[in-house]
Amino acid sequence: MKDIFKDILSIEGVHGVAVIGSDGGMLLSRFSERYKDEEYRLGRVDWNTLIPELADVSEAEFVFERGRIYVRKVQPGLFVTVFDDIAPVSMVRLNCEILQSSLDKFKAGSRIGQLLKKRIF
Amino acid sequence: MKSKVLIVDDDAAWVKAMLKELEEYSGSFSVTPAYDGKQALEILASGQISLVVSDLRMPNIDGFELLNRVLRQYPDIPVIIITAYDRPKTREVVFNSGADEYLTKPFTPEDLAEKINRLLQKKSEGGSLHNVSLETFLQLIEMEQQTCTLRVLNKNASNIGVLFFRDGELMNARLDNRLGKEAAYEILSWSGVSVSIQNGCPFTEKQLDGELQAILLDAMRTKDESSQYFNPEEDEGKEPETDEILLETPVDNRPKANPGGKTKTAEPEKTAETPRKAKRPASGTLDAGKQAHDAGNVEGFKSALHNEKGVEDIYEDPAWNSLIQQVSSMGRIFDAGSLSAIYLNRVKKGQAVIVPGEQVSVILMNPDTPRDRIIDAVM
Repeated sequence: MKDIFKDILSIEGVHGVAVIGSDGGMLLSRFSERYKDEEYRLGRVDWNTLIPELADVSEAEFVFERGRIYVRKVQPGLFVTVFDDIAPVSMVRLNCEILQSSLDKFKAGSRIGQLLKKRIF
Repeated sequence: MKSKVLIVDDDAAWVKAMLKELEEYSGSFSVTPAYDGKQALEILASGQISLVVSDLRMPNIDGFELLNRVLRQYPDIPVIIITAYDRPKTREVVFNSGADEYLTKPFTPEDLAEKINRLLQKKSEGGSLHNVSLETFLQLIEMEQQTCTLRVLNKNASNIGVLFFRDGELMNARLDNRLGKEAAYEILSWSGVSVSIQNGCPFTEKQLDGELQAILLDAMRTKDESSQYFNPEEDEGKEPETDEILLETPVDNRPKANPGGKTKTAEPEKTAETPRKAKRPASGTLDAGKQAHDAGNVEGFKSALHNEKGVEDIYEDPAWNSLIQQVSSMGRIFDAGSLSAIYLNRVKKGQAVIVPGEQVSVILMNPDTPRDRIIDAVM
């Protein structure tokens, strides 16, 4: 299957992407080699507490001193993109919007992580 | 004055080819190249650009960022986005971001020239006036409560200023890369100008304090003060300034001053140039917003953003503390430093920017407001 994350990961400054399920578990993640540790860091975030806070939110952007995290609500849960200050923010958002329809097709509740990992990578 | 089109693309070979192809249209416009967004901004700051054609994907400052900066600093300059990166959503996002036109590569030079010419013609769709007494003309605009964008050509210095009117009110002004009162004063102090009229105004909220009459009076004072630089000997024998106006393309429902005006062209006047003040950022919003952020209080944001288009409300709401703590903890996990702001697009309640601080400030924006303008302002 075509790597649907190829475009977004090729944007300068994008570290990686992940899909977090509505139960707070990480369904899939894809980080560039240089930022592999961030995949682990993302797993340490308390998503179970954060997800209810974002209940009415279709997209959110967390702006830090160094870097940003862009979160978009998708059918299986949250689509998360981690990037730094040199990344073109609008291009990142556009790519996430483009990916939304693909990610929405996957049904929540299935063993989506395994499925996506097999199919996408 | 021939229109100058800025073409921005990091593909130098493509730009070179396009410059050559567009030579055919040199009767309508000339083309200036830029090879990245940064260079494009430098050229824009020098003034004289009438239209921007930009690629979407470029290093450093990409097409979106360039579009965002043009909308903010040069709201009267139309932008055509060109891209080989065509996806079903791209067109929609590009137009939602404020672009005037969109072209997918590959396209022919004729396709591009047609779009350029159409947008350039729009700039004077309401007609052109020559040898205008600007004060008289603007008073007519005010009286007839016109909504329009006026491009004012100072024939003495060959530079163009832009005045934005909505319902007869002067909303803003631009001269080179300056927006606001300073630009308005300088433009209104010009004599012997030509004006082209475009219907519509990009500003919905007034960005200039004060009524047109008061601004005109201040501008006249500036003009009088600058007249001390006149050489009286040069002024001797000069024709008195005329209020005659030549309307080149009369349009219905548009103020027509002196409809009997002849095609007489005034002799170029030798006016002393108004001394230029030091350039300053187009808006004080960014600096003021940062100060408010550092101070961490709602009143600071209210004062910094009171003129910002699309801001609906600013208030304190400690209920967001829990989210701020969650997200701040995420920042620590990622070693990303402190949290500057949270942007939320809420299904029912719309867009908001939440700024942590001693007080948690919430800035509500209407759905059409580009979020980056507010995020940049509070950082």
